[in-house]
Amino acid sequence: MASSMSSRDFSLSVADCPLIQVEGWDGTLTQFEKSVSASLGTKLPASVGETVRHKGLLIIRVAPRRLWLALDEGTQAPALAVDPDLGCSVPLGEGRVRLKMTGPDIARLLSGCVTVDWHAPAAAPGRAVLTSFHHVSVVFLRTGETACELIVPRSFARSLSDWIADG
Amino acid sequence: MSSNHKRLSMGGRIDREQPVEFTFDGRKLAGYRGDTLASALLANGVTLVGRSFKYHRPRGIFSAGPEEPNALVTLGSAGRREPNLPATTLELADGMVVESQNRWPSLAFDVQSVNGLLAPFLSAGFYYKTFMGPTRRAWMFYEHFIRKAAGLGRAGTDADPDRYEVRHAFADVAIVGGGPAGLSAARAAAAAGARVALIEQDFLLGGQLLAEPSDSAAASWLKQAEAELEGFETAALMKRTAAFGSYDGNVLGLVEQRDPTDPQPNGETRQTVTMLRARSIVFATGAIERPMVFSNNDRPGVMLASAARTYLNRFAVLPGKKIIVATTNDGAWRTAFDYAAAGAEVTVADLRPVPPAALAAEAAWLGVVVRAATRIVDLNGGHAVRRVTLNGPDGQSEAACDLVCVSGGWSPTVHLTSHLGSKPAYRDDIDGFVPGSFPAGRFGAGAMMGTYATGDAIEDGHRAGTEAASSCGKSASVPAPSKLDLDETATISLREIPSVGRGKAFVDFQMDVTTEDIELAHREGYESVEHLKRYTTLGMGTDQGKTSNFAALAAMATLRRATIPKTGVTTFRPPYTPVAIGALAGRATGHHFKPIRRTPMHDWHMANGAEMLEVGLWMRPYFYPQSGRDVNDAYVAEMRNVRQAAGLMDISTLGKIDVQGPDAAIFLDRIYANGFAKLPVGRARYGVMLRDDGIVFDDGTTTRLAENRFFMTTSTAKAADVLSRLEFLLDTAWPDLRVAVTSVSDEWAAMSVAGPNSRAVLSAAFPALDVSDEALPHMGLLESEWEGRALRILRLSYSGERAYEIYVGATAGEQLWSRLLEAGRAFDLKPYGVEALGALRVEKGHVAGPEIDGRTTLDDLGLGRMAGKRSGFVGDVLRRRPALQAPNRQRLVGLECIEDGKRLRGGAILFLPDEKPYGHGRGRVTSVSFSPERGHYVGLALLAGDVAAEGSEVVAVYPMKDDETVRARIVSPVFLDPQGERLHG
Repeated sequence: MASSMSSRDFSLSVADCPLIQVEGWDGTLTQFEKSVSASLGTKLPASVGETVRHKGLLIIRVAPRRLWLALDEGTQAPALAVDPDLGCSVPLGEGRVRLKMTGPDIARLLSGCVTVDWHAPAAAPGRAVLTSFHHVSVVFLRTGETACELIVPRSFARSLSDWIADG
Repeated sequence: MSSNHKRLSMGGRIDREQPVEFTFDGRKLAGYRGDTLASALLANGVTLVGRSFKYHRPRGIFSAGPEEPNALVTLGSAGRREPNLPATTLELADGMVVESQNRWPSLAFDVQSVNGLLAPFLSAGFYYKTFMGPTRRAWMFYEHFIRKAAGLGRAGTDADPDRYEVRHAFADVAIVGGGPAGLSAARAAAAAGARVALIEQDFLLGGQLLAEPSDSAAASWLKQAEAELEGFETAALMKRTAAFGSYDGNVLGLVEQRDPTDPQPNGETRQTVTMLRARSIVFATGAIERPMVFSNNDRPGVMLASAARTYLNRFAVLPGKKIIVATTNDGAWRTAFDYAAAGAEVTVADLRPVPPAALAAEAAWLGVVVRAATRIVDLNGGHAVRRVTLNGPDGQSEAACDLVCVSGGWSPTVHLTSHLGSKPAYRDDIDGFVPGSFPAGRFGAGAMMGTYATGDAIEDGHRAGTEAASSCGKSASVPAPSKLDLDETATISLREIPSVGRGKAFVDFQMDVTTEDIELAHREGYESVEHLKRYTTLGMGTDQGKTSNFAALAAMATLRRATIPKTGVTTFRPPYTPVAIGALAGRATGHHFKPIRRTPMHDWHMANGAEMLEVGLWMRPYFYPQSGRDVNDAYVAEMRNVRQAAGLMDISTLGKIDVQGPDAAIFLDRIYANGFAKLPVGRARYGVMLRDDGIVFDDGTTTRLAENRFFMTTSTAKAADVLSRLEFLLDTAWPDLRVAVTSVSDEWAAMSVAGPNSRAVLSAAFPALDVSDEALPHMGLLESEWEGRALRILRLSYSGERAYEIYVGATAGEQLWSRLLEAGRAFDLKPYGVEALGALRVEKGHVAGPEIDGRTTLDDLGLGRMAGKRSGFVGDVLRRRPALQAPNRQRLVGLECIEDGKRLRGGAILFLPDEKPYGHGRGRVTSVSFSPERGHYVGLALLAGDVAAEGSEVVAVYPMKDDETVRARIVSPVFLDPQGERLHG
């Protein structure tokens, strides 16, 4: 999937979103996190909304026991064998789409889409926020001073990108 | 008469270099930039602006703000028409088209003003006492005429071409109200380092400071405060923005009006609703002046004293030259002095026996006549006031006048602070209500806290702004604000006891509620303030009784011989000011009304002319026009093709849930009525879930992918509900289970190949895969890859034919769909839509949404054997309730139409052949279809057990088509292949 719109102050593009979800069981979370951290070769984000970038991989903690591993375009998926006694994994990359936005007008446009405070530390570059957009559950990713992404379900992607484009 | 003949040549905050033209009831008038509609009308000598709600009495301009009860107008025309707007809040703009309301044939001559003559019969509760008979339905007849006679403006019916927006905003400190306290609070909070949003409903900041002369010290202070605030990068000054609601989590609902003077009205959003989330809020909402209650106090020319001062000093309008100022307090004297200075002849009638000496001295110096211990008891005038009857120490006397300014004291504006349930508290020293208490993060300042003097309000605002900033961690040192001394004296009021002459004395102008109505309510036992409100409709107008609440409360307190606090206070609810529905909807109209879900094959459906159908949020192919000229032709042709060859259906909309974990099988055993623990890997099973109350919740198939991993499908409609339910149970009931549930509905494109040729189609499409019955038996699973994406083929059937559900990564969905059609061409594979899908399942007797309707049990649907003697699953206990076991419950049956040329209809009510078709009948038809196999219409129905014997006849009556009646025979719900042989054909 790829489509786009742009103006002087804002641009929107749509891209696929290779993504793996891993989740640990309650009670063995520490072991699970150690195991995942070792497999990925990097530390994991400590709390919900934090992200860690490592070798073309963005690790997002989307829930206390749930991580999303978002792959940059062209990045090979990590070899990740999750011990079933510690947790599980499920690929989600076919069903999610990235709406990439950038430009100086981004904060104004976003204010008509999601309940995210562009200026708050929780939405600073590198942070993620789970929120809703026109009743659809989405993940907001702040990627720069005037850039962000929304990870949205594929079936809603066109409807939501139309909404942004009409803003 | 010349235009603007009541406008002064100097002064005010209008721009005389920018004249503005507008029309009122078709009459061309002129004003200036900086005017409101109300000020421009007054400047043009227009005193009659509207007609009252019930009695159609002539009404004029009473206030200068959103509390206006009388001067409601309709703005714009065609799609931009907006009724019931206070003329006092409309910023004047060139080309404005304004109409008065609630009058016919004209404002000056309104036929329904005859209601005034009938007033003795039209007291509170009149309609409910009088129009209840002679029959039960009589009110329905009368209501039409009563509603036509009474009311406000009419909404337009044309589509609104304008754009509206809903947005989200954030601030450290939100300040509601841009008067002296609000400005001071905003300055303090911004200086402390907070991100500030200052919200002001007017198009100018200043609040009551705008009523001060434009060359006064107050004006200088205001100019400096604005300049200071504009210097803060972190301060957003939100003019033309009303805070209409205060909600949990420090959320304020705001509605912002577009600048109507913008020369490009189509280039900007007309109204924006903002949900502002603030870490702390300062309410500096000011106070509203109270009217006085006397006979005919509603006539045009009676105005709040503060409003009269605003029109004089802000808009340079002198609405009268012979003025009576009736007051209970000091504040109104300033109006008297300003009008006297402007050349008017002024008399002050102060209810207090001895007005302050300083005021009396200034009055004498300005030539203002002072009558102490004097009140107005009656007023004479039709479309404009002519004279008043005064009652004082020397008895009654009459005084000619053309403007009456009234002030019964002040009521702090506590509406917003009350929205979260905090009851206002009465303060004896100000004879008014202030906020009872503030939760953490909320503060009050200025007149709304009873701090009326301007200098005190500025200091109070500074304190509140500093504290609000500090509460969100912004504590930089803040210099004190500039002082402003307006030489105000204390404004302690003497409580007015209404004094009534011959005419009606109004308490609530907008709802036409009089002192007599309150007395009647009291006599009839409606003593509680809440009962009083509902009995008389007091405070239920678009103004929410902003000017009437206290007077009504005081009147009831007097009647009950109780104190005000003991009498109570009404509950204020959002919205504080009316908000257009268009603004609340924002952009969520038309194709943006709700988000649309598209399947991975959506573009193919569109490109191939499929008629699409909204199913929940999904767009699904309804039928393909290649199959027939309309849906009825097409679905039957598509059904035949599935039964005789093969059909391809997009089933991507099914809910799909990945269930994983060491305890996944245990979990499924608990949530399904039938067991899953023993399901072998690589096999699928149909399952039914119940709600806690034993009613069927949803059905679907679940496939065991691995020992600890399952792939669940749900109905399209219940996908989100089922996932939510599973998450809820794992989080609350069984947190000990090591199970993860994840929606993978968007992950997979799904399509079903059904029909006797379906296996051949698969063999052709996937030549490398073994899809023989041995490798892929009924309810079996085959996992593979296709074009680098995961592929799952499940042999499941919804239609009763041999069928396969094929799942592939969503990005490859359309590609595989096309591949299947290409491979299936030799086997007559054709796509089919949801209408054919539904018809196929009806023929096979499968239940779906119309039968699983939140009222049926497993036994009702003939599925009781699935649970057998199992226990321990959700809904197991309550499904055994006697009421759910009653033998006469409606249960699933099949129906065959037995009348030639007739059809069954979904929703028809079922009766016995000899029964009178009245009431709810014995059951209902849930789903129907024409059956090509049977050659007539068949249907599923829920029918009472005692009349559901197969072979019996029933009559189906369809109330939506003039009780269309058709006879039907009760048969097995499985119309086709009861042995299931076609599944293997």
